[in-house]
Amino acid sequence: MTATATAERTSAAQSFRPGSKRQHEVTRLLPGPLLAGILVFLCALVLIPVAYIFLASVNSDIGVANGEFLPSTFSLENYGKIWSSVGLATGLANSVVVAGMTAVVSAALSIATAYVLVRYQFRGRLTALRGLLALQSVPGTLMVLPVFVLFSSSASYLGVQVIGTQWGLFITYLTFAMPFSTWVMVTYLRGLPRELEEAARIDGASNVGVLVRIILPLSWPGIVVSGIFAFLLGWNDVLFASVMTRPESQTAAVALQVFGASQEGGAIPLYGQMMAASLVCAAPVVILYLIFQRYLVGGLTAGGVK
Amino acid sequence: MTTDSFKDLRTAPRPPAALPQTAGADLPSGHGAGATPGHDGPARPQRKPARRKGLSERNRPLWMLIPGGLLMLVIIVVPLLLGIFMSALSLDQYTLRKWVSAPFIGVENFVEALTASPLLHSVWLSVSYSLIAMVVTLPLGIAAAVATQNAFRGRAVVRSIFLVPYVLPSFVVATVWRTMFQPDGVIDSALGSVGIDAGLWLNGPQTFWTLVLVQIWASWPFIYLLALSGLQSVDHEVHEASALDGALWWNKLRYVVFPYLKGPLALAFLIGMLHHINNFTLPFVLFGVPAPADVEVLPILTYVTSFQSFRFGLSAAMAFVSLVLIAIPLFIYLRAVKLDDAETPGGKK
Repeated sequence: MTATATAERTSAAQSFRPGSKRQHEVTRLLPGPLLAGILVFLCALVLIPVAYIFLASVNSDIGVANGEFLPSTFSLENYGKIWSSVGLATGLANSVVVAGMTAVVSAALSIATAYVLVRYQFRGRLTALRGLLALQSVPGTLMVLPVFVLFSSSASYLGVQVIGTQWGLFITYLTFAMPFSTWVMVTYLRGLPRELEEAARIDGASNVGVLVRIILPLSWPGIVVSGIFAFLLGWNDVLFASVMTRPESQTAAVALQVFGASQEGGAIPLYGQMMAASLVCAAPVVILYLIFQRYLVGGLTAGGVK
Repeated sequence: MTTDSFKDLRTAPRPPAALPQTAGADLPSGHGAGATPGHDGPARPQRKPARRKGLSERNRPLWMLIPGGLLMLVIIVVPLLLGIFMSALSLDQYTLRKWVSAPFIGVENFVEALTASPLLHSVWLSVSYSLIAMVVTLPLGIAAAVATQNAFRGRAVVRSIFLVPYVLPSFVVATVWRTMFQPDGVIDSALGSVGIDAGLWLNGPQTFWTLVLVQIWASWPFIYLLALSGLQSVDHEVHEASALDGALWWNKLRYVVFPYLKGPLALAFLIGMLHHINNFTLPFVLFGVPAPADVEVLPILTYVTSFQSFRFGLSAAMAFVSLVLIAIPLFIYLRAVKLDDAETPGGKK
């Protein structure tokens, strides 16, 4: 919603006198050379390490170990090996399943929760909103042990095996995604006009009807943002996944971390495969982000929280 | 504080009598079958119809809060309380299986954590590393935002590039920098070509600065984003006025533009601190466990105490200390955020 407001503002500023030189002079903030210097510096700061990921992934391990930036040899075979050596095939499949389920369910739950929080007055409402913000900052390291114990207890007392399955991870990620997803939806729904809902109510729509027929179709940008952030939470997590998975339910993040750690102490670590696997793990995230960039940036600043 | 505020969320939906009795048990069926429409009729006459807040007062579907609230209660609040309880138990790999009957030792874990463990050192490391990283990312982020504020050819591409470090998963960032920081790796050979011998990056006292550097690389785009949202709130008239006055670019930035950034940047500062202090993945993947003593930040220490030394009770006490630590910026943040103002939807300023 901030995104749309911002877009309006910028477009208003631009349409003021589009493309005119004087207009540009008025709003400009930095002298040309300084501007160019900053841009070049920052782009290099970002792009050199990013380019290195690819360059090292096609280089030989010896070349990487000797500190070559530009590879002396070129080979794509690392991209064939990582699926079994790093365990990336299983890892990516698990990551996609767990993070994907988290995204869908979290978006669905958060829109319902946010709708009530935005549109209805009740006691404890502000506390609930504050709680959403506070819960985003509860440190994962504080939660991992009790959650682990709780899940193990569910195996011994209820006979439900949670540890080591994808369900345990899914429930965990879903819960930890909820506060932020809901907050994003809260900020989004606030920007929707009430008139449509009121019209629908006059036509006899129920609460659920309003939510499904009016709010849902209008909220896709917000749903996409909150879903993607839930997805990223599951995709990026190492802490819970490293404690709660077995090799066969490992996510890609843990597979890569374990592979990297196991290379310590060997003769020459398999750098090429590490970099190839890094690139493969990063690719879905970067692609998602490029596709939905406009929404996501708006969501980030509107949510005000990572 | 977290716990208290959350209890209210749970208890809040209960008071209104209009709640469908079964809604708590099965949301999906209630959702699908539309349990509430039946309530439409009887709920209405109970309240005065002519009130201004009519819509939000009657027929509130508070049951919709139940699935999300229940989930957060079971997986966040209960473990949080459990963690605090565990910090008072003598819990190791032998007593963990029957943790309910583990010996209760009161504050002994806290005493040990504060006097006989590297906890205070870790607190110091966490705070100083977060602060240094924050102080360096601020000018980087502001410079990036100011530089991309005015349109130029290729600006969209530059803006996308700027966000790449932020969207790369932490474990990827750490794996890549770990490779680059290897002895004789690409960074050492680049520094060597200009005659600098930097020494070890992944071992020894310099590891602290390695962590700070990588954290800066990964998190400056966040400052950039919030600074950008601040810049976009600068009115066009302000630009015109300062142009009429013939303000030099530096004075314009300093006295006209920067004041607009104060709010978003204060917010970015608090959230950034919270994230840095809580960051587990970056040091964990960058250095592995057991980590060098100079990067044994709080999350790493807590993790190692639990899952390497199996001192679960002690670890729970440490985790509680880190909760107290983050409560400080969190408290300021919650006080500063406007929760319910349509004018500032992001809760900023």
